[in-house]
Amino acid sequence: MTTNTVVSVSGLEKTYGKANERQYTALKGLDFTVDAGEFVGIMGASGSGKTTLLNMLSTLDTPTKGDVVVNGHDVTKMRGNQLADFRAQEVGFIFQDFNLLESLTAEENIGLPLALKGTPSKVMDQAIHEVAETLSIADLLQKYPAELSGGQQQRVAAARAIVHHPAILMGDEPTGALDSTSARELLDLLTTINTQQQMSVLLVTHDPFSASFCQRILFIKDGQIGSELRRGSQDRSAFYQGILNELGTFNE
Amino acid sequence: MLGKLALAGIKNRRRDYLVLLAGLTMSAAIFYMFANLATNQAFLKANAAVSSANVIFGFGAVLLILITVVYIMYANSFLLSMRQHDYGLFMMLGATRKRVGELVFLETLILGTVATAIGIALGLLMSKFLVGFLLNMLGLHLSHLTAFYLPAIIATAVLYVGLFILASLFNLVKLTRTTVLKLLHSDELANQPKVKPFRQLVQGILGIVFLGIGYWALAAIKALQLLAIPVALVTITIGTYLLFRATILMVIRALRHTSWAKKHLNGFLLGQLNFRVHNYTRVLTIVSLLFAMALGAITVGSGYHRQLPMMAQKVGTYTVAVHNPTARQHKLIGQLHVAYQATYTQKRQGKTVYYNAAELQKQPVELRSYTNSGNLNDQKLYTESLQKFKKSGTNDLDFLSLALGKVGAYTPKILSAKQFTQQSGKVVTVTTIRVKNLQQDLVPLKKLNQLETARYSQPGSMTVGNYQNYEMMLAFFGGLEFIGYFLGIAFLAMLASCLMFKILSGAPGDKRHYRMLYKVGVRQSLMRHGIAKEIGILFLIPGIMGVIDVLFGLQMFKPLMAAPMSPYLGIGSTFLIFIGLYAIYYLITLALYWRIVLPQAPND
Ligand SMILES: Nc1ncnc2c1ncn2[C@@H]1O[C@H](COP(=O)(O)OP(=O)(O)OP(=O)(O)O)[C@@H](O)[C@H]1O
Ligand SMILES: [Mg+2]
Repeated sequence: MTTNTVVSVSGLEKTYGKANERQYTALKGLDFTVDAGEFVGIMGASGSGKTTLLNMLSTLDTPTKGDVVVNGHDVTKMRGNQLADFRAQEVGFIFQDFNLLESLTAEENIGLPLALKGTPSKVMDQAIHEVAETLSIADLLQKYPAELSGGQQQRVAAARAIVHHPAILMGDEPTGALDSTSARELLDLLTTINTQQQMSVLLVTHDPFSASFCQRILFIKDGQIGSELRRGSQDRSAFYQGILNELGTFNE
Repeated sequence: MLGKLALAGIKNRRRDYLVLLAGLTMSAAIFYMFANLATNQAFLKANAAVSSANVIFGFGAVLLILITVVYIMYANSFLLSMRQHDYGLFMMLGATRKRVGELVFLETLILGTVATAIGIALGLLMSKFLVGFLLNMLGLHLSHLTAFYLPAIIATAVLYVGLFILASLFNLVKLTRTTVLKLLHSDELANQPKVKPFRQLVQGILGIVFLGIGYWALAAIKALQLLAIPVALVTITIGTYLLFRATILMVIRALRHTSWAKKHLNGFLLGQLNFRVHNYTRVLTIVSLLFAMALGAITVGSGYHRQLPMMAQKVGTYTVAVHNPTARQHKLIGQLHVAYQATYTQKRQGKTVYYNAAELQKQPVELRSYTNSGNLNDQKLYTESLQKFKKSGTNDLDFLSLALGKVGAYTPKILSAKQFTQQSGKVVTVTTIRVKNLQQDLVPLKKLNQLETARYSQPGSMTVGNYQNYEMMLAFFGGLEFIGYFLGIAFLAMLASCLMFKILSGAPGDKRHYRMLYKVGVRQSLMRHGIAKEIGILFLIPGIMGVIDVLFGLQMFKPLMAAPMSPYLGIGSTFLIFIGLYAIYYLITLALYWRIVLPQAPND
């Protein structure tokens, strides 16, 4: 594989249900790649298999068939601790429901991926404060998740996702539970991270506005890639229009 | 319709219900066993030779009732924690509070009644087999002990069903008072405890003062009499609670700022504990007390068990005296670990028994030196020359007891070998044996003694040899020994379930936490270790406190276990066995917890 490919997926299939049960094939042979530093969106109707795809990429679930290579690691061949370590080191996640640990302060939540690696506490403090500055949550560090608004929690979650400089940042509807202002702030942040740190971002969304922040969008339909849209040199509002058009034709 | 929904909800969590039902059933069974012993008047009259046994039984019953109340409270909160989400959902879907209230009431009551019924049945079986087994192992016999005793059944049923009616009412009120939203998000609510240094300092000091008063009261039982026990119970409870409240949080807070907290899952562990210990303070206090009572009871029980033979051995000289041994008795004697053995030929005539000086010369009679100190340990065994023995030794009570008739002892006379052969009279040989360790040879000694007493009757008030002494003491203290073991086991079982329910009721919430950790890439082994540490600490805190309580609490038994017995003698092995049981309990809880909270990796 070439050095500038972060994700490469080929012939990916996923069938739910055991052989003797009622089966459902959610993904029917997917092929695509994501380059280093790229900001890619994945769109599709509800039930089209977006979350399933993301689970395969992030090793939360295993594919029935096909290959998934992330940052040079063939994730389909990994087992047990390798999988956990892979998630801890190579991937950063942002989930729709934040997934913060409520018994830990924002600071401790953000530091978790570093603590898992056994980073010295001085280095850790520095890294936490750096991302906190970037995401403007420095004054929230001592608070517990229960004391934060949804938007603030999601920014803390984003900080936790990038604090250990993963190869790729994945988000499954990260703006799903946020109001439009918070959503916009988060998307701006993702764009900043993407451009400043050259971190690849993979964003699953069904919201055209969120998708318009991406450079390239893959449309999934019935478990396959239906079409692909590139932003190129368009500005965001033009791209937004383009997405709406594509969705119009795509959904017919 | 709603009833069906509720049933479906129960089916989904049948494993949790099984744990709950099993725990309640055990509790009812133990209570029945105890009630059976404590309320059976015939049994009490026949066995409570020691007046304090009666008091101990009554006291034990009160304690057990208190513990049962607390236990049912925790079991009920576990039940509620499982169900409130469902009930919130029903209400959101439009079920009236009244209808949901009825459901809650019925569910709690049905569960409680079923548990009580099974529990009593189990208690009957356990009374029949387990108590018998325990008595057998301890080598005790308690008369008038029956498994089936109606008043005990009624007492158990009334107490349990009554408590469950209260619990149902409590649930009813609680569920109909809280808002739907709170019910739906009950396991997500997270309030962080606040630390107020001054207040905690005061609490800590007060806690230590209360503990001090409690420990003092136990040591001063001679002066305070029975008042010592309630005083100690109240002050130690309050003291422990305050001490836990004051110190544990502070320690966790302090640890959280160290760099150790920033390694691996340590931070998460501390966060979890910080979050929990506060609402665990009460259960930890109760568990530490139960731990202390269980360990204390078993220590006292085993103290008697181990020390009675020791004590018996310190009185008198030989263990048994066998007259004209039969073949069977010879065989039994062969099984003993003999320290000193002597055989004498007696000739009995009139009120006199004649001994052969040559035999006494060859096998001198062992005597015990009685000092004035009163300490049995100072009293040594010795032998003396025949001349001396002739003068004073023949008055030795143990020597006199070698020839007992219907009216009393024959008067001994020692003749030279020549005179002895000429002397007429009934010839009897008597073999005296002193064993190395009474405890070790209890089984053959028992048979030997049975055979001997069947052949030769002796005056009822007299004992021959220290084995008979031991049997007499056993009849006296055996009840205490048994109660000690029994209460210890009962308390241990209750304690364990209390802690387990409290810990398990936190598991549903933790499931989410560990799912998150799994997603973030925490290794399975790291999560396992983290959980083991967290639960381990929750077990350890009351364990340590309980051991300290016992070490002080044993003072209370000093008057009952006079020297050379001591409540502290040989407690090491008892502690080890008890801690082993406690550890097994920890492992079971841990395994259950792992099964509930650890996320399954997709490919295995
Ligand atoms: N664990 C599972 N077992 C069986 N079928 C599943 C499972 N998870 C998902 N599916 C099915 O696979 C299909 C794709 O689900 P997926 O969650 O990937 O959809 P999605 O694109 O993320 O939808 P949404 O936009 O609503 O989140 C759906 O039809 C779903 O029913
Ligand atoms: Mg989805």
